[in-house]
Amino acid sequence: MPRLTVASDGVVVELREDETILEGLHRHGYAYRTGCRRGGCAICKVDVVSGEVRYTRPVADTVLSDAERQSGVCLSCRAVPVSDTTISLREETLRCVNPLLALYATSH
Amino acid sequence: MAVMRMGYMHVRVTDLAEAKEHYANTVGLYQTLEQDGRVYYKGWDEWDHHSIVIEEGGVGYVKCGFKCERPEDIADIEAKATVYGYPVERMVAGENPEVGDGIRVTLASGHQVEFYSHMTSYGLEVGTHNPDAFPRHMVGIGAPRLDHALLWVNDVAGIERFFMDCVGMYPTERVVTSLDDDAKTLATWLTLGESNHDIALLEAPENKIHHFAFEMRSWDDILKAADIFAMDDVPIDIGPTRHGITRGTTIYFFDPSGNRNETFAGGYRCFRDRPMVTWTADQLGKAIFYHSRELNERFLTVAT
Ligand code: FES
Ligand SMILES: [Fe+2]
Repeated sequence: MPRLTVASDGVVVELREDETILEGLHRHGYAYRTGCRRGGCAICKVDVVSGEVRYTRPVADTVLSDAERQSGVCLSCRAVPVSDTTISLREETLRCVNPLLALYATSH
Repeated sequence: MAVMRMGYMHVRVTDLAEAKEHYANTVGLYQTLEQDGRVYYKGWDEWDHHSIVIEEGGVGYVKCGFKCERPEDIADIEAKATVYGYPVERMVAGENPEVGDGIRVTLASGHQVEFYSHMTSYGLEVGTHNPDAFPRHMVGIGAPRLDHALLWVNDVAGIERFFMDCVGMYPTERVVTSLDDDAKTLATWLTLGESNHDIALLEAPENKIHHFAFEMRSWDDILKAADIFAMDDVPIDIGPTRHGITRGTTIYFFDPSGNRNETFAGGYRCFRDRPMVTWTADQLGKAIFYHSRELNERFLTVAT
């Protein structure tokens, strides 16, 4: 399973198959600014530093342009890492909103 | 009364199948037509052929339509909008299925707004002869009708004046920068009749749609809607809560493409001579979310 590293915060989580970046981080107790969580509002964009993501659902080009995709920007509520991936958040840090989950997920 | 109500809202959706599931089974609208990649719906307490149109491809606003009482009202708006300086096009019957002749006005924000006076009547779900209070087998939240929309525009004052001078609306509430005479209007709630708003406008860097809302009958129905959203894994933006503005009770939530929807109940009766309510920008948190009194991180930043 792909491993997701959030370079800006030094957090590493193991993803499940077909899990989006946002779902994986939520499942480990982390939150950051999101809007619709359905690929429509663009507020959840993050930079892919290394690795590769794919989309299992259509994403509107008005939300994520081809140029952005090529320059490594992804829509974290829809992007599914296909290999070990490192991302970096923009102008914010991850918030640990469920420390139990963060602890459980890292110790197992 | 010349213009009666917002008759339809037409938006894009990225995945038609998921959107159909949402609007039919969660929101509980009745599908009246599917044609050319578009699906048409009405609520149970609406009689015209459709009030919501979803179209596959992309996300966000396509257009909305206001229903006029008579064809002469359309001609009147056409003349006034032309003088106002907004581009006006004629639209012919059938351009929108089951909708008669009308006009399409392009606001300075780029939003297209149509005016028409005829749409095929489909009938109320409860009928009009000795009707029951609501349909016996409602689906999902059973939204009765489309109520209003909030648009993001980059010139609230100019577009507000269009809706006042050319369409006959009046503002019931406004958010202003201060109480000084030279204050700027940041947001406005405009109505045609006695409801709090048929359309609202919010000053924003982009011209988009913030949300469109379904009128619910009560706070109980709002609470039940939130329960249904939990069951159907609908992302809730905020609520159930109350707006300071309009006093309405609300839930903001997102459709499967990320378009924001609202369930709205309550508000107060408005009249043209009722004193307008003014909110200052420093009280915006309370104005929008009356209980928490602070904006969440999405209200002013997320739209489609
Ligand atoms: S949260 Fe809206 S696009 Fe991801
Ligand atoms: Fe609203």
